[in-house]
Amino acid sequence: MKRLNKQKLMQYAIVLFVAVTLNFMLPRVMPGNPLALIAGVDVGLLTPEQRAQIIEDVGLNRPIFVQYLDYWRSIVTGDFGISYRSDRAIVDIISERLPWTLLLTGGALVFSATVGIVTGAWSAWRRGKKSDLSMLTGMIALQSLPSFWLGMLLISIFSVQLGVLPSFGAVAPAADFTGGAYFVDVIKHAALPMLTLSVLSVPGVYLTMRYSMLEVLGEDFIRTARAKGASETRVLFGHVARNAIAPVVTFLAIRFAFSFGGSVIIETVFSYPGLGRLVFDAVSGRDYPVMQAAFLVFTFAVLAANLVADLLYPILDPRTRSD
Amino acid sequence: MVETTRRRRRVRLPQRLGQLGGVIVGSMILVAILAPWLSPYDPAERVGRPFSSPSAEHLLGTNDVGQDLLSELIYGTRVSLTVGIIAAAVALLIGTSIGIIAGYYPKRLGAFLMRGVDVVLILPFLPLLIVLAAYLGRSLTNTILVIGVLIWAAPARIIRSQVISLRSREYVMASQSMGAPDKWVIFRHILPRTALLATGSFVRAVSGAILLEAALSFLGLGDPIQKSWGSILFWAQSRGAFLTPAWKWWVLPPGLAIMLASLGFALIAFAVEERINPKL
Amino acid sequence: MKNNRQRIAVLLSALALIAAACGTTEPETTESPETTAGTEGTTDTAAPATTVAAAAEPVVVRAAITGGEATLNPYTYVSGFPGWNLMMLQYDALMQFDLNGEPQPWLAETITPSADLTVWELTLAEGVTWHDGMPVTAADVEFTFKYFVDNAAGRFARDLKGVESVVVHGDLGLTVTLSGPNPSFELAVLADVPILPQHVWESIESPTDHAYDISTNIGSGPYMLTGFTEDQSYRFAANPDYFRGAPEVDELVVVVFGDDSGPLAAIRSGEIDVIFERVSPEQIDLLDAQDPIDISQGPEFTTQMINFDTSKAPFSDLAVRQAMALAIDKSTVVDILYLGAATVGSPGWVHPGKTVYNTDVVAQFDPAAANKLLDDAGYLDTDDDGIREFDGGPMEFEMITNSSDSLRLRIAELTAEMLADVGIKVNVASVETATWEQAVWPGFDVNNGRNYDMAAWGWSAPVQANTVRIAELVHGDPGIGFLNLTGFSDPEVDAVAEALAGETDPAVAEALVKELQVLLAERVPFILLAYPDGAYAYNSDVYDGWAFVAGQGIVSKVSLLPESGRP
Repeated sequence: MKRLNKQKLMQYAIVLFVAVTLNFMLPRVMPGNPLALIAGVDVGLLTPEQRAQIIEDVGLNRPIFVQYLDYWRSIVTGDFGISYRSDRAIVDIISERLPWTLLLTGGALVFSATVGIVTGAWSAWRRGKKSDLSMLTGMIALQSLPSFWLGMLLISIFSVQLGVLPSFGAVAPAADFTGGAYFVDVIKHAALPMLTLSVLSVPGVYLTMRYSMLEVLGEDFIRTARAKGASETRVLFGHVARNAIAPVVTFLAIRFAFSFGGSVIIETVFSYPGLGRLVFDAVSGRDYPVMQAAFLVFTFAVLAANLVADLLYPILDPRTRSD
Repeated sequence: MVETTRRRRRVRLPQRLGQLGGVIVGSMILVAILAPWLSPYDPAERVGRPFSSPSAEHLLGTNDVGQDLLSELIYGTRVSLTVGIIAAAVALLIGTSIGIIAGYYPKRLGAFLMRGVDVVLILPFLPLLIVLAAYLGRSLTNTILVIGVLIWAAPARIIRSQVISLRSREYVMASQSMGAPDKWVIFRHILPRTALLATGSFVRAVSGAILLEAALSFLGLGDPIQKSWGSILFWAQSRGAFLTPAWKWWVLPPGLAIMLASLGFALIAFAVEERINPKL
Repeated sequence: MKNNRQRIAVLLSALALIAAACGTTEPETTESPETTAGTEGTTDTAAPATTVAAAAEPVVVRAAITGGEATLNPYTYVSGFPGWNLMMLQYDALMQFDLNGEPQPWLAETITPSADLTVWELTLAEGVTWHDGMPVTAADVEFTFKYFVDNAAGRFARDLKGVESVVVHGDLGLTVTLSGPNPSFELAVLADVPILPQHVWESIESPTDHAYDISTNIGSGPYMLTGFTEDQSYRFAANPDYFRGAPEVDELVVVVFGDDSGPLAAIRSGEIDVIFERVSPEQIDLLDAQDPIDISQGPEFTTQMINFDTSKAPFSDLAVRQAMALAIDKSTVVDILYLGAATVGSPGWVHPGKTVYNTDVVAQFDPAAANKLLDDAGYLDTDDDGIREFDGGPMEFEMITNSSDSLRLRIAELTAEMLADVGIKVNVASVETATWEQAVWPGFDVNNGRNYDMAAWGWSAPVQANTVRIAELVHGDPGIGFLNLTGFSDPEVDAVAEALAGETDPAVAEALVKELQVLLAERVPFILLAYPDGAYAYNSDVYDGWAFVAGQGIVSKVSLLPESGRP
């Protein structure tokens, strides 16, 4: 464990530093400027003096290095400034949006983990048989589905044709549900986007689990255990699965972080007010502060996921324990 | 006796999947090549009333400006396959090079390179796409470049793992102890043995690249003037087709095409990976 | 059972069952009590008899917009449409557009200009209060004018540029003196600038970076903002003490969508009652066919056009510009892309629906004449590749358009096709909105020149609404022609435009405008393709009092006020 702490943490720190710097540079590299956001579309009616005044007010004319130091300061203090677009504290905007994305990605994670692990294990157990193969083909096919296409189809079927599920937003507009009714409303709105995300995440988990199981199944000690008799099958199953789970957890951890980015498409298709859509809007509108803050959240998510995976792996996989 | 026949049957089935994949990919490539002869119209020409439903003249109806959807679908094969294959090739080139170097010198250079891989993986995907698309301008070349630059990290990791294990094999040790230069060892011993793995990675990358291109085009980040399947869906979504009965002939077919193409390559990749690791 | 497909089917049906079991509990959308919509002359006062019937439930309308509008006050609203419109539900201007698009007295009950249109005497209406109960006085107007000029961040500062002094007489009287005659003072200033409450804004020192909350949104208008989740939804409650009568709709909930298709899906499923964005042409018939959705459609003053850089060759050559104008068939644009829901663009800029439109100025389509023009001017296709040459190279140019507008992208493609027919090759490039804006209008300042060959562009309604503003589009002096994105410079045009800007006699002004239109058609500063119709979808069962203001659409307080209170 000590080895893990020093070396790995050092490396993560470097990654963080590089990522933060890159995050800072990226928006600066893009053409266009955020002036349009400050004054809305009527900007063209400003005089040059008025424009200069606005640029100075929001600090865009300071030297790049000063802006960079400021960026680090804001990360450390957790103050991300104010969004040009809406004159609101960015922390507020992000804390409003983040839960919805977490709802979708978290729900998809739980769903795909459960389904993927169970089917993966089961499929590995029945390796080679028709059921395994059809499941395998099905999963590979599922993996090839474009996410936005699936989303659009689900909207067409469930919202437009059948009219049973809403197609936009996180909650019904103009409605003041509380308690149980609110909960139901949230579930109704999250159902389709979560389903889309989940369905497309299952194959990855399934394949990882299946592969991992097969690896373990081929180990010597499993073979000898199996030779001892069928009555130990259940114990073996538990034993095999337990050993096979480690890579899956790693996969899930990484996958979870990436699904933040992938949720951009889903949130756009379903008009879901999460972090993904916020990023896309901010990037299109060159809202620097919001963009930077959102980049940061993504960066932390991936690093945290890596860290969690690194910490969990030795716990789950007895072979790699250093004691 | 029973053991061997069962194992033979087990081995054959993944291969059969690979063959299925090959058939799919093969026919798509054929369609791409023969597009001018197969397609009833020039997809860029306005040949009918906008938004018309399927009819004898237009088997899949027309799009929002009156272009034939079936022709767009057929020609779309060209763009989607080209982008997919070339982008994957670019990714593989970068990924294999970095993977081999990182694997062969795992201590310092390798660790450094792998941190680079991590950084690439950490960079937010979508904003990076927008930066590059906006900065470079939207064209087919840029789409290929952008995708290639994004997906080389996974093959790099895989290749690197293999090279690390290859590095400790006897023939490598032997060559090194005989004083062979690193470059020679890499080219003579390491590179050929990564071929199978690289092929698997390549095919898998094509599968992913096709989906990425579709996503890019759908978000309007690709070149919407190009007739790729993703761009057909872009227009379908922009003009609200999936809210109308038109979704059956405007939304369903391109999505299926994307899925089939990606699936074909994925199946081949699966078969290749099974060859590498028969336990599958 | 182990089939993957079956698993998914079970899951989906389970979900569907859950959804159905939880009931289709949609929020209450009650029938709107049959109001004065369509029935003239119901002489009700501000308190309609229907409220006496005890069972009258509140009328709630849910509206859709695409794109957030920040905190919707005069400094933070984002878009010209529908941002300005929604903001103006909370505030009043001194005048208000009526259904014909003409400004009428509103907050200012009497408006008396001097003969030379430089001194304006205004008297405010009596009994108008702010949402917090304080009275609206002339001091607020004086404060507003000064505040916008001192804290410029938008169009109001520009509007008020010519105001030299404001003198207050008592509570309700004002004398506004301009530095020069302004015949469009009513249109551009009195009907456009929202009046701010002094007691709220005098403590806001730096409005451009102030952290706003809802307490700032105090206005005098028919609706009060009662709550919002930034960029997601906005709730308005009717102001029952509104000086023109209590509004017909009790509560207005505005929901923000990420794109155009969300509102369409929502109105069809009944989750939304009106869309505050123009419905695109292909959806018009589809929506109309579905009960109870209706469409309110009419001509609007937005414009779709093709810009080019007239300061560089070959666009500096009049023959080339004229040829391009002749080569593009604007009625095809209207038919194919707008499916008829647009008015063919006039080469003289002025909308055919306006009284000052010059009927002699009509769009021409003549590719043969275009070819002849180009041949005669020496642009020949010497290497026979279908593309003409000029200055040693091919006539090949890039036309940029903004990626967020798919219809405009199609327009660009179509015009490129038509220009190819006369030997000019155009490559359409779809770029990020910000990139496109910066290329055509760097820094939003025409003094910075321009960085493009050709571009698909469009102006919003207010630019067309005020004909005097033509000068802003075509004048060669950047100080006057601050909307001149094509670098157009023609002394004759300048002279007429300047004369128009200061002309106080309406008859003379009309003659000048007509002359200007002829000139513009001849000199081609840009190519005006079409004026898209405004088409707005609404659920007539929930509320159908929507009024279409000529040139501007249904999103205004006029739609929401009782018939007696409308201008």
